[in-house]
Amino acid sequence: MLQRIASGDPAAVRECIEQYGALIWSIARRLSRTPSDAEDATQEIFLDIWRSASRFDATQGSAKVFIAMIARRRLIDRLRKTSAEPAMDPLETLDAAEWTDSSASSETSMEAEQATRALAELRPEQRQVLELGLLHGLSQSEIATRLQMPLGTVKSFMRRGLIKVRERMNIQADGVSRV
Amino acid sequence: MPETPLQAQPDEAMVDLLVKRVTEGLSSDEQRELDVLDSATASAYLRDFERAAAAVTLAASAGAEPLPAGFAQRIARQADEHFAHRDATSVMRVPRRPSSNSGAFGWLAAAACLVVAVFGWMRAPAPREPPTVAVTPPITPAAPPPAAPQSPAEARAAMLAKSDSVKITLGPTKDPAAKGMSGDAVWDPATQKGFLHFVGLASNDPAVQQYQLWIFDAARDQRYPIDGGVFDIPADANEVVIPINASLAVSKVAAFAVTAEKPGGVVVSARQHVVALGAAG
Repeated sequence: MLQRIASGDPAAVRECIEQYGALIWSIARRLSRTPSDAEDATQEIFLDIWRSASRFDATQGSAKVFIAMIARRRLIDRLRKTSAEPAMDPLETLDAAEWTDSSASSETSMEAEQATRALAELRPEQRQVLELGLLHGLSQSEIATRLQMPLGTVKSFMRRGLIKVRERMNIQADGVSRV
Repeated sequence: MPETPLQAQPDEAMVDLLVKRVTEGLSSDEQRELDVLDSATASAYLRDFERAAAAVTLAASAGAEPLPAGFAQRIARQADEHFAHRDATSVMRVPRRPSSNSGAFGWLAAAACLVVAVFGWMRAPAPREPPTVAVTPPITPAAPPPAAPQSPAEARAAMLAKSDSVKITLGPTKDPAAKGMSGDAVWDPATQKGFLHFVGLASNDPAVQQYQLWIFDAARDQRYPIDGGVFDIPADANEVVIPINASLAVSKVAAFAVTAEKPGGVVVSARQHVVALGAAG
């Protein structure tokens, strides 16, 4: 699909919006301060996708991960520019994130399943740090304050958590996932 | 992290910077710190961490709600515009809300001359977004215009030979991307075309940032330079010639500035990364 988008195929563009619109919207909602910000961000993300589609390399991962990477880059850029704390769910609702069932449908990407397994292996507090940072857009300092945890511990949990996911995804230095 | 024969292992400081970049972004100081570290190792691990973060994000996105009604159609229309303009060698920008950090002082109110204005532009706060200019033709080293089947370098040389062309030397700023850079801009007022020429300007990753040209027109308000479009410097390209296609007519070119911006460029530059400047003598 992304190759077709790169060549300007209008059908592929609509397919992309239909297939990934909900995903991008959900990520944008989580990492934006307001619904209006989320709308702006979503438009920018799709524009980034149209521009970057030609760089997609299927040997480096799924289209879903490629699109989620583009979305995260744009949203982090926007968060830094607004330099304000993102809108987020109350702490007690954080466990409400709907995690992928590793036995779920074929629509679930392999990478998401691997990440879910990696997260399940983390200690609860380590997993919480990762969720606050990656899913709710909190900075490490904000996480330290909220969880009343030393900043160094937050950094360490974040680092180890991402490394664990990376290892689970079995990413080698050439960037290719091997299963 | 698993040892691999192909890739050096990053030290803890580098990993901390990479993780921070992936999770919350880096300040310009931190980015500079990362830039001086082993770039090959950093790039490889950055990509891995971005993929890992994206996978975690995907894992938590089950049951996502659909786009709001009508929004998908809006995005589709925007895509149509983007590709239509791309095919016409133009790029449609996402409309942006006015910048919230618009300076109360405006731009360069006290500037007495254009040179001062350009250098002041580097330091002044971003103004409110002007109400016009949504379409910006990209500057790209690819595909010279059909009417001029010369390479950009040949066309630039031919333009330099014309008596009415203007050549402005572009000097580097203190931005790390400009270190060791030299360059110039050649402009032909008659055809409203021109060329940028750089030696040693740092290559950019178009997915992270792109260079953007700003043209100062002596006949216009200097607070609002003309958007000259975005361009990339490919890796390993030490010397490049890039055609300029100004989005608006330039009455009398007074100066050029190049900034590094987010992919696709911006309507109003925050001027955080001005890499090159040059004013007419």
